[in-house]
Amino acid sequence: MAKELIQKSVEELAPLLKDGSLSPVELTNAVLDHAEETQDTINAYMTIYREEAEQSAREAEKEIKNGNYRGMYHGIPMALKDNLYFKGKVTTMSSKIHKDFIPEDDATVVSKLRDAGVIFTGKLSMHEYAWGITNNNPHYGAVRNPWNTDMIPGGSSGGSGAAVSVGSSVASLGTDTAGSIRIPSSICGIVGLKPTHGRVSKYGCYPLAWSLDHIGPMTKTIKDAAGMMDIISGYDEKDPTSVNTPVDQYLEKIKGDVKGLVIGVNEEYFFNEVDNEVDQVVRGNIKALTDQGARVEVVKIPTLKYAEWAELVTSLSEASTIHHEDMLKRPQDFGDDIRMLFELGELPSAVDYLQAQQVRRQLKQEFEEVFQKVDVLIAPTLPVVASKIGEDTVELNGNKVDLIDNIIRFTGPGNLTGLPALSVPGGFKGDLPVGVQIIGPAFSEALLLNVGYAIEQTNPMKNMKPPLLSKA
Amino acid sequence: MLSLSVKQLLDNKGIQAKPEHLEILESRWKGMQELRGTLEGVKIEDADIGLRNIPGGDHIG
Repeated sequence: MAKELIQKSVEELAPLLKDGSLSPVELTNAVLDHAEETQDTINAYMTIYREEAEQSAREAEKEIKNGNYRGMYHGIPMALKDNLYFKGKVTTMSSKIHKDFIPEDDATVVSKLRDAGVIFTGKLSMHEYAWGITNNNPHYGAVRNPWNTDMIPGGSSGGSGAAVSVGSSVASLGTDTAGSIRIPSSICGIVGLKPTHGRVSKYGCYPLAWSLDHIGPMTKTIKDAAGMMDIISGYDEKDPTSVNTPVDQYLEKIKGDVKGLVIGVNEEYFFNEVDNEVDQVVRGNIKALTDQGARVEVVKIPTLKYAEWAELVTSLSEASTIHHEDMLKRPQDFGDDIRMLFELGELPSAVDYLQAQQVRRQLKQEFEEVFQKVDVLIAPTLPVVASKIGEDTVELNGNKVDLIDNIIRFTGPGNLTGLPALSVPGGFKGDLPVGVQIIGPAFSEALLLNVGYAIEQTNPMKNMKPPLLSKA
Repeated sequence: MLSLSVKQLLDNKGIQAKPEHLEILESRWKGMQELRGTLEGVKIEDADIGLRNIPGGDHIG
């Protein structure tokens, strides 16, 4: 029974918890046991909160028995990325410099999940300070991909991607500055949503690059993501970038009907230099939607040709600003890879940075124009699949290309524009998952989740599970 | 020459770049310049700026 439980999604577990046929204590112990069993192989966790989780599970059990069921996430055990603050708990950003840092307050998303009855099982590993996409961490070891443990899980929310994929966390949260929710979600075969900038409060999240950072769900299914968005969305006066606009009812709006949906396809940027098999998988999913009554319109977004430059200048400059003092005083305490990025981020001038912001503005305008004609854009989340741990390059149609430059190519525009973007599992290349990215107008998360649900209903993953989960 | 300029730029800011990083930094910086190109078609001198100054609404502390 315990082994069956860890395979289930929140949407499958919630009714069992609600009607009392499953105890939060039993579920939490199953997840904790599996987290401990897979830690040597996958290394997803930074810390496991065994005692606190068991205590919270007993309290949840009592509350539910007494008729005080709080909703879909009540009694669900999950761990979060280690850049989200838990009051009084060490929060490391998977760094050496912050290894003993104890926040004085909970992140807003942590408070909201706690209020919803979530049981926190621990903190998950990440690329150091979220500044990378491999999760090959020099201080705490590499996180491994549950589909193939020689491969990266993606990053920077690689611990979250691996944990949800292998079942050592029923769901999780990630953070995304250039793709750090969508990259590990695509690579680990799970759902990842980067909401609109300002939709989910960032209060209590250690920043990577202020104007590009987002927090969002990483889950097994679309409905799990929608249920989490119902909890974590909304205005927060503690976050100056929070936007005070009405919140949708995400779960309720999921119907999976795409009849009449207009899908925008941008060939020049989002389908340029894509692995042939990844390209086929994504186009196959678009075809599946058109078979259900959607139609495709080809669109142009000329300023995308400068998107990679603007994303790099903005993220490098902001990240190097945040870490400037430590780069002066103790550069040797950073991992070598991010130290080099912090060095690189000292090079752009103020003029470079401001020109990049003008590119962003124009890009936002072009996306807005496109969304006058189409409902969503669909693209590959990544042009490639997972690469081997320790390699700086990845194979793209027979050529070795730079891993970092290529892996953020299609995710970066969502951060530059702040527009919502969802990665949903779309199939495989060999034994490695491929993600389909759906991008929409500002605050259209409900629409994206609905389109994602339509894809999910075609069962593109053929019920396949990572070997460590299916053997569990 | 290029190596010197990247090193000097970082030295001037008090950043001690690892010597083995310099060549990679040069290459990455050059790659970024290539990505930038001429920015032809981008309204850099537009009347509006991408950064906005919005009074009020910030949180205190």
